[in-house]
Amino acid sequence: MKLSSVDLNLDWPVSIKLKNLREFIIANLEKKGDVIRWSIVDIQNSIDSFGTKKLKIKVVLAN
Amino acid sequence: MEISPTIFIIPTGIGCEIGGFAGDALPTAKLLSSASGCLITHPNVMNGGNLSEKDQNIFYVEGFSLDRFAKGEIGLKRVKEQKIGIIFDSGIENEILVRHLQVADACVSTLGINVHSYVVTKKPISIVIDPDSSKMSSGIIENPDILIDAGKCLIKKGVTAIAIVTKFPDDSDSPETSIYREGKGVDPISGVEAVISHLISKFLKVPCAHAPALSPIDLNENLDPRAAAEEIGYTFLPSVLIGLSNAPDIVELPAQHELISLHPDQIESIVVPHGALGGEAVLAGMEKGLNIISVKNQNLLNVTNEFYDYPNLFEVSNYLEAAGIILAIKKGITLNSIKRPLNKIQKCSHSN
Repeated sequence: MKLSSVDLNLDWPVSIKLKNLREFIIANLEKKGDVIRWSIVDIQNSIDSFGTKKLKIKVVLAN
Repeated sequence: MEISPTIFIIPTGIGCEIGGFAGDALPTAKLLSSASGCLITHPNVMNGGNLSEKDQNIFYVEGFSLDRFAKGEIGLKRVKEQKIGIIFDSGIENEILVRHLQVADACVSTLGINVHSYVVTKKPISIVIDPDSSKMSSGIIENPDILIDAGKCLIKKGVTAIAIVTKFPDDSDSPETSIYREGKGVDPISGVEAVISHLISKFLKVPCAHAPALSPIDLNENLDPRAAAEEIGYTFLPSVLIGLSNAPDIVELPAQHELISLHPDQIESIVVPHGALGGEAVLAGMEKGLNIISVKNQNLLNVTNEFYDYPNLFEVSNYLEAAGIILAIKKGITLNSIKRPLNKIQKCSHSN
């Protein structure tokens, strides 16, 4: 097993409600490896008209 | 006894003004424990190097397991004592290892803690700290399998909780360490510490906590009081052993035959620093509609409710105020009744 520390940028679309945000993030993180530790470290409102928010996630993955 | 089970989180490695140093949120944990009657918190809050304290109302749960508890995956079971084993990183110099073994013996002889045995890893686990000190503390270890194998060895011997002591690079002269000791920066090693304990929690599912092994460092007369607990003695192991000595057992849910002292469905509130709403426990709490108490506690992050618009969130100026809210929740006193102006009750209209 090898660990890596990654900063991941992820778009949070309006269609994903807050109640489903955690599972949405995990589903995206698990595509990249086994998740050891993660958290959202920054959120920005997008300048587009769709209301998408830009998440920055710090994650430690095992592969 | 009336309780309002509350999770208290100070994320590791984000430079919190309260709780970002050496067990300097422990007095706050005692306050919130008194208010709630039942507090679930993690080693970063409770471990002050050589100093710590037991509180029968506090459940000491490592961060990865705490997240699983918040998500409803595990329950907690009180125990009278844990049988503790210690993993020592083979990168630790012999003299420092002997100091740690003497501390473990002292915790048995003086505190009556059941420290059962220890194991030295087959190879150094090799810490790699993220060099970018402008960000939150982070990093990895190069040999996670070596760490996990050592833990498995202890569990085979009957150990029920694991303390981990790993060798950290000798960086006592680094600007990050100096700034941290003077109370101005982020604890540079805490992010990797969290990764190490998360690995043991994830793969071995036992209570655990981590202490770094560091070479003695020179006296600093400008030491911040919040970092002072790490200047006592040669190791940071006592607080870990005290915390683990009666840390709750982790019970996978749904439990078939195990008794559970605290079920995740009993949680009513989560207390977290303002700006640190991006962790898994907080998001899981929001899914369940829990009270989130966001406390002003300066740190590096700015993940606030501005982006969530979560309705059950209380923003407060300090932990004294948070304790008041928890007390009101515990006693079933509606918070609006204590604030002014006080609005009249609303009239409902019949809808078709």
